[in-house]
Amino acid sequence: MNIFFRELKANLKSLLIWSAVLVLLIVISAAKFSAFAGDESMLAILDTMPKAMMDAFSMRAFNLTTLIGFYGLMFIFFGLMGAMAAAMWGSDIISKEERNKTVEFSLVLPVSRSQVITAKALAALVNCIVYVLITWGISLVAVTKFNPDQAFKDFLALEMQAMFVIELIFLALGLLLGCAMKQYKRSGSTAVAIILTAYFVSVFSGLQEKLDFLKYFTPFKYFDAAVMLRDGKLDGMYLLLSAAIIVVCMAAAYYTYNKRDLYI
Amino acid sequence: MRINIFRHEMNTRVRSVIIWSLSIAALAIFFFSIFPSFAEDAALSNQLLAKFPQELKDAFGLGKIDMSTILGFLTLVFVFVQLCLAIQAGNFGFGLVSIEETEKTADFLLTRPVSRFQIFTSKLLAAIGSLLITDIIVSLAIFLAITSFKGERTYDASTLLLVLLSMPIFQFFFLSVGLLISLLVKKVANVTPFSLGLAFGAYVINAFSGVFGDVKLEYLTPFKHFDPVHIVQNSSFDTRLVLVNVAVTVISLAISYWLYIRRDIHAVS
Repeated sequence: MNIFFRELKANLKSLLIWSAVLVLLIVISAAKFSAFAGDESMLAILDTMPKAMMDAFSMRAFNLTTLIGFYGLMFIFFGLMGAMAAAMWGSDIISKEERNKTVEFSLVLPVSRSQVITAKALAALVNCIVYVLITWGISLVAVTKFNPDQAFKDFLALEMQAMFVIELIFLALGLLLGCAMKQYKRSGSTAVAIILTAYFVSVFSGLQEKLDFLKYFTPFKYFDAAVMLRDGKLDGMYLLLSAAIIVVCMAAAYYTYNKRDLYI
Repeated sequence: MRINIFRHEMNTRVRSVIIWSLSIAALAIFFFSIFPSFAEDAALSNQLLAKFPQELKDAFGLGKIDMSTILGFLTLVFVFVQLCLAIQAGNFGFGLVSIEETEKTADFLLTRPVSRFQIFTSKLLAAIGSLLITDIIVSLAIFLAITSFKGERTYDASTLLLVLLSMPIFQFFFLSVGLLISLLVKKVANVTPFSLGLAFGAYVINAFSGVFGDVKLEYLTPFKHFDPVHIVQNSSFDTRLVLVNVAVTVISLAISYWLYIRRDIHAVS
């Protein structure tokens, strides 16, 4: 419990900075959206667009003059930000002990290594939850002047759930990297490599129908904003896949950290 | 400039440079491997696009460039290459001098009979050298990718060269801004979140101005300063924005020198 509160406090600054960036992102984009909102002429042009054209530029299902369309477009940025923040928190919360040469100290405490991971993982989890709630809250505040309806609020709720699942996947991955990497310096950069790869794969899989199978390899494609809008729920199969990834990563994290030779 | 420091810095970066160069090269080749089939699809949607009102095309940044051509496709790929280059340069910039403090080697370094100015210059040159090596490898990879997948198509070699030449200047921006920020904050415990934030921040701003067709944000982000779409369209840089970019780079570097020479660096306790 002490470790949990200690970590919460130590990570507060990082949480604040990441949140500030997100708030900035939402505020800027909402300001830009106001130039677009309810522009009837734009709507008329969009209506005349052929379907193939919309598909080609993956603008399907998004009408940018409405709040829902606008937030559909924003989802990839929320996902990216959440993934980056969560992966950084996850890997850093474990590896910083080795970097700061405090790992000896934490090991002489009367707690098992598993307990240390549990406390740290919970602290990072709280960060992730707060991060999603802040995104959600600020979004609601930022769009009040566009009179959001219930449909938008439902869609936003869905997006935030999806963002949270993405965060959880990358948090688990980050924790695993922090626990498993022999060199503490590498855990952060490996996490970046994985996020970038996942992002590029998600772009790549959208370019061509043949490459559609790649979507299983990137969490950014598990929850497609257009699909969420159409179905009104998260895809069950992908939720299961996400849960599997998270469980495997966490199990591997506990296993490796308990066996590992720590760098002192 | 001290050759010992320079050599040591280069040596510590070898691994990182190799990994970055090969990953970015792989990314470019990977993307280009789908070019032949993508080009056919793109040609089809070009026909559709031609029927569209200009207003709409402007609003969504569509149709500015023909994706079925080699250089058109390159603009698509190049933004992702830039993103990677930005993170790499940011990493080097944020870590350049802060790493001595986090790894508690600053004392040792500063007791050597070299001035801080020389230390800084040697380190900076080593970082620039590493970035240039990366740029050369990535350029070769892009060239290779184009040659192997272009088929019957042709392209303008001088425009390609221009796009590739933008890489070092683009990276120096992130190097010097990263360096400046690392000297402004009290402590850089972990380089990655900083460089990730800087690079993705610039990338997101760029993506936004693409979606909404706004012009005001373009001054802020190097992704706009070296917008490949602009370079390919006009076969030249946007001189005004490139000047802004270079000015920021030079000023950040100058302030960094000034800050580093006066910095209070704590001894290991």
